[in-house]
Amino acid sequence: MKFNGLMGVALAALLAGVGSGAGADVVKVGVVASFSGPFAMYGKQFKDAIDAYVAEHGTKAGDHEVQFIFKDDGGPNPDQAKALTQELLVKDKVNYLAGYVFTPNALAVAPLIDQAQVPTVIFNAATSIITTKSPYFIRTSFTTPQVAAPLADWAIAQGIKTVVTSVTDYGPGIDAEKGFAKEFEAKGGKVLDAIRMPIQTTDFGPFMQRIKAAAPNALFTFIPAGPPAFAFVKSYADNGMAAAGIKFLGTGDLDDETTLQTLGDAALGIHTSFPYSAAHDSPMNAKFQADLAKVNPGAVANFASVGAYDGTEALYRMIAAGGTDPDKAMKAVLGASWESPRGPITIDPKTRHVTQNMYIRVVERDASGKLINKEIETIPNVPDLGLAK
Amino acid sequence: MRQILPFAVLAAVAVAAFYIFPYNLAFLTRMTIMMIFVLSLDLVQGVAGIATLGQAAMYGTGAYAAGLFAIHVWPDPLAGLAVGAVAGAAIAFVSGLFLMRAHGLTLLMLTIAVAEVLQEVANKFSDITGGTDGLGGIRMARLLGVWKFDFVGQTGYIYAVCVLFVVMVLLKVVIGSPFGLALRGIQDSQARMRAIGTPVTRRLLASYGLGGAVAGVAGALAAQSTQLVSLGVYSFQLSAEAVIMLILGGTGRLWGALIGAAVFMTVHEVAASVDPFNWLFVIGALVLAVVYAVPQGLMGLPAEVKRWIGRLA
Amino acid sequence: MTTLASILMDGIAYGMILFMISVGLSVTMGLMRVVNLAHGGFAMLGGAFTHWAMTAAGLPFVPAAVLGLLAVMVLSVPMERVLYRPIYRMGELPQVLATIGITFIMIASVNLWLGSSLLSIRLPAAMSGAVDLGFRTLPTHRLYVLGAGVVVIGGLFVLIERTRFGIKLRAAVDHAGTAACLGIDTSRIFALTFALGAGLAALGGILGAELLPIDAYYPLRYMILFLTVVAVGGLGSITGSFVAALALGVLDTAARYLFPDVGTIFFYLAMIVMLGLRPQGLMGRA
Repeated sequence: MKFNGLMGVALAALLAGVGSGAGADVVKVGVVASFSGPFAMYGKQFKDAIDAYVAEHGTKAGDHEVQFIFKDDGGPNPDQAKALTQELLVKDKVNYLAGYVFTPNALAVAPLIDQAQVPTVIFNAATSIITTKSPYFIRTSFTTPQVAAPLADWAIAQGIKTVVTSVTDYGPGIDAEKGFAKEFEAKGGKVLDAIRMPIQTTDFGPFMQRIKAAAPNALFTFIPAGPPAFAFVKSYADNGMAAAGIKFLGTGDLDDETTLQTLGDAALGIHTSFPYSAAHDSPMNAKFQADLAKVNPGAVANFASVGAYDGTEALYRMIAAGGTDPDKAMKAVLGASWESPRGPITIDPKTRHVTQNMYIRVVERDASGKLINKEIETIPNVPDLGLAK
Repeated sequence: MRQILPFAVLAAVAVAAFYIFPYNLAFLTRMTIMMIFVLSLDLVQGVAGIATLGQAAMYGTGAYAAGLFAIHVWPDPLAGLAVGAVAGAAIAFVSGLFLMRAHGLTLLMLTIAVAEVLQEVANKFSDITGGTDGLGGIRMARLLGVWKFDFVGQTGYIYAVCVLFVVMVLLKVVIGSPFGLALRGIQDSQARMRAIGTPVTRRLLASYGLGGAVAGVAGALAAQSTQLVSLGVYSFQLSAEAVIMLILGGTGRLWGALIGAAVFMTVHEVAASVDPFNWLFVIGALVLAVVYAVPQGLMGLPAEVKRWIGRLA
Repeated sequence: MTTLASILMDGIAYGMILFMISVGLSVTMGLMRVVNLAHGGFAMLGGAFTHWAMTAAGLPFVPAAVLGLLAVMVLSVPMERVLYRPIYRMGELPQVLATIGITFIMIASVNLWLGSSLLSIRLPAAMSGAVDLGFRTLPTHRLYVLGAGVVVIGGLFVLIERTRFGIKLRAAVDHAGTAACLGIDTSRIFALTFALGAGLAALGGILGAELLPIDAYYPLRYMILFLTVVAVGGLGSITGSFVAALALGVLDTAARYLFPDVGTIFFYLAMIVMLGLRPQGLMGRA
């Protein structure tokens, strides 16, 4: 990576100059996310969470007035994400960036933010390597290995000795498969079969039959939320897997709170691992959900909203301490710890990724009959495991 | 004069856009790249009459080829374009060998299948292509060794517009040549052209290959300007949107491709920024309005307006 | 041996769902010669109405499904008159454009009405769960789809080959002008056929929702799948769609059993080979 350093410095100075020269010290934050298309959920969750944070903490961070500008990238579309980010930087002269749902979108803007020296908070994109691409990236979501490996530990502790992994055949799925299998085998477990399922498939009957034939203690899966996860969970129930003694282990993407209710009874009893459950029992989480309901009645809290909420906290901390000075801002947040709706979190100063608790949850019905992810075990302070050799 | 005037107008518009929207160059560059892509489709579909919903196969291959070339071989932009063009033409030629025998729905489905297979192959070989994460780390050397690709995107825009001009002139020449006339003849009636001795399949294959080269150039430009290639370059959505833009503007006349791309992308951009949740209504309405009011595409609008006025009088 | 039996059983069950979802397209596109990319939109609307009737109005599954079906058929009549009639005479490309535009409007409407999340349709107890077949189990739902598929293909055969309506339809399709001269009300025939196609789409959407769950972007997500079945089957042949759906279902399932890693590539290669061997489709008229 070689950039014209002088150009970058000049540009940063220009951006800084505009930021503070505008008189009423306004610090602008550009938020790039999907507000339309099949992934509109993310944009909506981000916006609600930011609104909730602002409603609670006001529009000022320290002495600086904070202003958010939202842009829609429409899905995994790096061309659009990069063009929008460029526009935010040169036209709107934002001092901070945030959002980014998909890995390619985040990777595409890395050269830009590196050159312009703009601190950028990733609210979602979950591939480990992203934060290595620029020292101005921090991330408040999770990485796939961070979620998968603790689940393997827990499975071993439960006496599960054999599994079949069946993941969707694309980047995140393969990350999950490797993350889980490595930990599971290191602890003495055995992976009987590793199935990679085509991304367009929604008929999972054949895979269930194949898993059943292998007769493991459990299956482990990573599958994107929405139609595939829905059909996979249905298929697990319809094929009598639980009765055959095969437990369901998965990452919490597949039963996040925005889709959980649609899964219905088929989801009862499945185990997932994830950093956040809306059913997390803490005053902070209760307050977060109450704030969310105030800005948008009917809003549902999930991993995307809590990623954005903590991301906004990170932004406020950076803005309060650094104003428009990117390096001061970064310094303020690296190593910082605070209580999040998901539990205690720390921004690891080395990886710039969030260190957090992982929770093993089981799907149950609560007193009112709604499905919830009930936390049954906590694995504390898990760092990003994806980059560790 | 009639030939040159539109080019002069295009140049004037491109220059004007540069000065009127100095902060939107990234968007204007994307639009220019899309214009080149829709032009490739116009040659294949509008002139030669090859129905396709899989033009992204060539665009994507050009993008990956240019990206890999820049990373592993030589980061020169023009060399990257040439590589993209060759890759696009090659994939068009290979797939064209069996595609050119099909017609109608069968042809549409086969073109879709080619793009889908390529997308899955790119996903499979993620060690080379980066898979879902995308092929990142593409760095561009200075254009012609002189102009650096700058942060605001001025070089990138001017570069893309120049490529658009070259492609446009090239296609104008091709369409006016005996080869182009033969393609039009084939679109009207394959049987007649065969009867007068035109090697129909060979001509179609040549046009598909040339269209593939142009699509490959568009893909290469996209790879160079985003500095990242994702699996989306092979998406059905991209192929379908290009078809929408082409029909919107008017097929077979090249200028229609430019107008269609410009109108579609501008409407999309404005509608999506005004109401991110409901912009699809606007796009749907635009598309329907064109089909029912000006079936010839926006290029046919002047003639249509004349007809309406004539009817009133 | 067990694997082979499993492949056939799962494959036929999956193929039957493909058939149920695509047969409506075979009617509008095959018989009426409209490139109807909005087919999935009608399937989605059927599912959306059913979902709404079950969640908002609290109806049980069967009445809700009937309501969804009827709603789509009723809606399709004015749509045919206003939106589709003008494009019958146009070329393929304007038809593609028009029906994509219609699809966009449908997606945007459902998105606005019910949001972009999954619209689940909960099956009644009798249809959920699994049946034990001795050597393995099969989801009960698949048996209902199998039954429905057989009823639909039988019904369509009788309707098209054995009734006056069928005779008029075939006449109107072959040559609308001549049919009209013979006193056949072609516009009524077309409206009814279109409503039939839309209704079948809705039925397929509702019954197939277990495998292809309904959401606002359903029509775009599965567009290629529907088109594949009709293209491989051959335009204008409902039997062809039936055979193609089963063949594709079994092939795709076999790939999933035997070499899941290359499943998608295999599906498209199978399609390329089939269309390469029979460009008119399995049962298409040459």
